[in-house]
Amino acid sequence: MPATPVLAAEDLSKRFVAINALDHVNFELAAGEVHALVGENGAGKSTLIKVFGGIHRPDAGRVLVDGAEVELHSPADAYAKGIALIGQELRVVPALSVAENVMLGHLPTRPLVPGIAASAALRLDRARMRAAAGAALAQLNLTVDLDQRVDRLTFAERQSVAIARALSRNARVLVLDEPTAALEEREVHSLFAVIEALKAAGVAILYVSHRLDEIVAIADRCTVMRDGRVAADLARGAFSAAELARHMTGRDIEREHAHGAAAPGETLLEADLGGEVRLRAHEVVGLAGLLGSGTSELLRRLFGAAGGARLRVRGRALDTRHPAESIAAGIGMVPNERILGLVLDQTVRDNIVLPNLGRFGTWWRMDDAAAGRVVRELLVALDVRPPDPDAVVRRLSGGNQQKVILAKWLAARIEVLLLDEPTQGIDVAAKAQIHRLMREFAGRGGAVLFASSELDEVLGQSDAVLAMRRQAISARVARGAGLTEHAVREAITFHR
Amino acid sequence: MRRDFLVGQIPLVTLIVLGVVIAILTPRFLSPLNLSNVLVQAAVITVIAIGMTFVIIGGGFDLSVGSIVALSGCVCAMVMMEAGIAAGVAAGVAVGALVGLANGLIVTVLKVNPFITTLGTMVLVRGVVFLLTGSQQVPIDQPLPQPFIDFGIERFLGIHYLVWLPVALLFALSWVLARTPYGRSVYATGGNREAAYLSGIRVDRVVASTYVWCGGLAGLAGVMLASRLQSGQPTAGEFYELTAIAAVVLGGASLYGGEGKLYKSVIGVFIMVILGNGLNLLNVDSYWQRVAIGAVIILAAAADRLRAHRA
Ligand SMILES: Nc1ncnc2c1ncn2[C@@H]1O[C@H](COP(=O)(O)OP(=O)(O)OP(=O)(O)O)[C@@H](O)[C@H]1O
Ligand SMILES: [Mg+2]
Repeated sequence: MPATPVLAAEDLSKRFVAINALDHVNFELAAGEVHALVGENGAGKSTLIKVFGGIHRPDAGRVLVDGAEVELHSPADAYAKGIALIGQELRVVPALSVAENVMLGHLPTRPLVPGIAASAALRLDRARMRAAAGAALAQLNLTVDLDQRVDRLTFAERQSVAIARALSRNARVLVLDEPTAALEEREVHSLFAVIEALKAAGVAILYVSHRLDEIVAIADRCTVMRDGRVAADLARGAFSAAELARHMTGRDIEREHAHGAAAPGETLLEADLGGEVRLRAHEVVGLAGLLGSGTSELLRRLFGAAGGARLRVRGRALDTRHPAESIAAGIGMVPNERILGLVLDQTVRDNIVLPNLGRFGTWWRMDDAAAGRVVRELLVALDVRPPDPDAVVRRLSGGNQQKVILAKWLAARIEVLLLDEPTQGIDVAAKAQIHRLMREFAGRGGAVLFASSELDEVLGQSDAVLAMRRQAISARVARGAGLTEHAVREAITFHR
Repeated sequence: MRRDFLVGQIPLVTLIVLGVVIAILTPRFLSPLNLSNVLVQAAVITVIAIGMTFVIIGGGFDLSVGSIVALSGCVCAMVMMEAGIAAGVAAGVAVGALVGLANGLIVTVLKVNPFITTLGTMVLVRGVVFLLTGSQQVPIDQPLPQPFIDFGIERFLGIHYLVWLPVALLFALSWVLARTPYGRSVYATGGNREAAYLSGIRVDRVVASTYVWCGGLAGLAGVMLASRLQSGQPTAGEFYELTAIAAVVLGGASLYGGEGKLYKSVIGVFIMVILGNGLNLLNVDSYWQRVAIGAVIILAAAADRLRAHRA
C-alpha cells in the first residue's frame, strides 16, 4: 500500500465562461517526488496549480492534503497547509533586503519593552531574522549578502530567494511554474541541484515546464494534461521527450530544422552596434548570448526603442529614435516579456490592430470589417485558441498570448522581424509552429533576427548565428561555414 | 459576459433609482423649471467631464479644470469687450487648451506625476485669474454683447442652446474615441503604455493631447458659464474638477487608465447634478450636502477598486 500523497486532487473541475479549464482532474503528489506537469498552451496547468495555491476556487471536486480535505480560500491558506507557489512573476519586494524578503510574512520579533510579551509586535528581531534567512539560503547553496536589496539580484538569485522563503515556512510542497524559462544554462543546472537536495529532504515538487528535455532529466513522474483533462500519468522511464509531445497533442511533432536552402537575397538591414549586424532577405539569423549579454538591448536598439540607432534599411540611412519610425521603415519587434507586447485588458483584435492603425481605414474612420477579416485569418493560421477576435487577451493562456503578439506583426507591412525569446513559455507544438512561421516569413522575402537563450533552438533554426558576449557581437557564423554548437558556445562564454 | 454587462449598467441603474427616489420625495423635482435647471447645470459639467474622460482613459488625471473655467470665462469676457464675440469665445477656448498643453508637456517631458502637475496648475491658474481681474468680475460697468448673453438664455426646440452644445460634442467625440485610429491609441496608451510604445504609438504625444482636449473643453465650459452668468467671474468653477472626476469614475472609467466611455461619464454627471439638486430641493443643510457628495465620491472610487479586483 503506497503512502498517502502529500497533495492530491480528486475530480477537480473549473469552468471559465465557455471553457472547461479543469475537467474532472485527478492528481497525486508524493513526498520526495519531482512531479512534472506538462501540456499544450491552455491545457489547464496554470489553472490547476492556482487551485493548489488558493488563487482559484474549484467549481467541483476536492483538494486533499495528507489525505484530508482542505478548503483553500487564499494564498495564505495554501501557505498554512505547506503549499508554496513560485510563479513566473516572482513575488519579491524589490526595495526590501534579501533577509527581509526570505522572512516576509513571518518576521521574527522580540519585546519592545523587556518582559512584556505583548509589545513584541512592535520590534523586529534582526538577529533572528538574519539567522533564519541565512539558514534557508544555505540549503540552496546561495551565497548572497543578506542585507542587499533584492532588486540588485539576478533573476535566478531572486528565484532562489522566493524558494528560500517557502523553505523558511516549512513548505512541504513546492510548485514551480516554468522556473527555467528565464534562466541561462548554468543557472538551470544549479536549480536542478537545489531540486535534488529538496527532494532528498522530503519536499514534494510540482514542476510545470514546456522544456521536455528537462523534464525527462529530472522528473520522477509526469502528468500530461490536454484540454483540461489528464491525458496520461507516466512514471520515470516510461516517458521520452517525443512521447510526452505525442501525449500532449495526440499526434507526432516533427522537429523541423532550418536547412539554409534558399540563397540569401539582398541586404534589408544593416547596422553597426558593437559589431556589424546584417540581415538579408530569406534569412533567419539567430542571436545567441547568455543572460545579460546584451541581446535584448541590441534588438531594442535596432527597433529604435533604446536611444537612437543608425541603420541602413535597404541601403537607405535611417536614424531611428522611436519604434514608430522603425515600423514605418518595415521593422517589427516581439519583446521578451509578454506584458510589454500586449494591452491585456483589450481584445485580441484591438491588440493586433494596434501597430497597424494606419493600415485599416483612414484617420477619421477605422475599417473594423477589414481589420476583423485579417485578424480572424491570422488567428486560424496561428491556431490561437479560442480563435475569437473579441476575446480579452488577459483570459488567454500564456502561449496563446504569445501568438497574438506575433500576429500583430504578421498583420503589418514589415520585412524585418526582430524576436526576443519568441518561444518562451510556448508548448512544443506551438513552438514548432512559430519556427515554421519564422521560416515562412523569411521565405516570403523577409529577414528574421531572433534571440534565444536555448542553444538548441538557435542552432536548429538559424541560417546564421550572431553571438554576443558582454554587450558586443563576438562572432558571426553561417550554416555550412563553421556553424557548430562548439563554435557558438565558445563565442558566447567569457572566460574569467 | 452577462455579469460584465450588468456591472457596466450599474451607473445607469443608479441614476434611474436616484431620479425616482427624489421625484417621490419632492414633486418639485419634475417641474419643467427645475428640469431645465438640472439640464443647464449638467451641460457645463458635461463638457468638462468629456475632456476629463479623455485624460483618464489615457492614464492621467487633471485637477486644473475648475481654475481653467474661471480663467477662460474672464479672458473670454475681456477679449470680447475689445474685439467682439468670436474673438472672445476663441480666446477663452484657446487659453484653456494652452493650459492643457502646459499640463501635457510637464507630464510627458518633465515626467512629473499628473496629480502634482495639475494640482500646481490648479493653484497657479487661479492666482493668475485674480491678478488678471483684480478680483473683480469682468466687465465691471457695462454688459457683455447682447447676442452672447442671449446664447445663455435662449432655447431651440424648447431646450437651451447651452444643452445642445454638449449633446453635439458627445456624439462627435464618442466617434473620435471609438472609431478613429487616434481614439484607439488613447485607449491603448492608457491600458499599457509600454506595449503601446513598442507598437509604434507616439505615447507622449497621445498623453499630451488628452490634456489639450481636457483644457480646451474646460475653456469652452468657462465660456458657456460666462454666457450664463453674463460676466467672467474669477471665483467661477470652484470644485468643478472634483465633480467632473467623480462623475467620470461614477461612469465606470478606470483611474488606472485604458477604460471609459463618454456617454457613461455623462451618466455620472447626471448622478452628481441630480444628487445636488435633490438635496437642495429637500432643503438639506449645505454642510450635509457636502458630506453626502463626499461619500458618493468615495463609493465611486471603491467601486473602481472592486472592478480592478474582479479582473
Ligand atoms: N481568468 C480566466 N478567465 C477566462 N478563461 C480563463 C482564465 N484563466 C484561464 N482561462 C482559460 O482556461 C484555459 C486553461 O488556461 P491555463 O492558463 O490553465 O493554461 P496553461 O496550461 O497554463 O497554458 P500555458 O502553457 O499557455 O501557460 C485556457 O483556455 C484559458 O484561456
Ligand atoms: Mg500557464
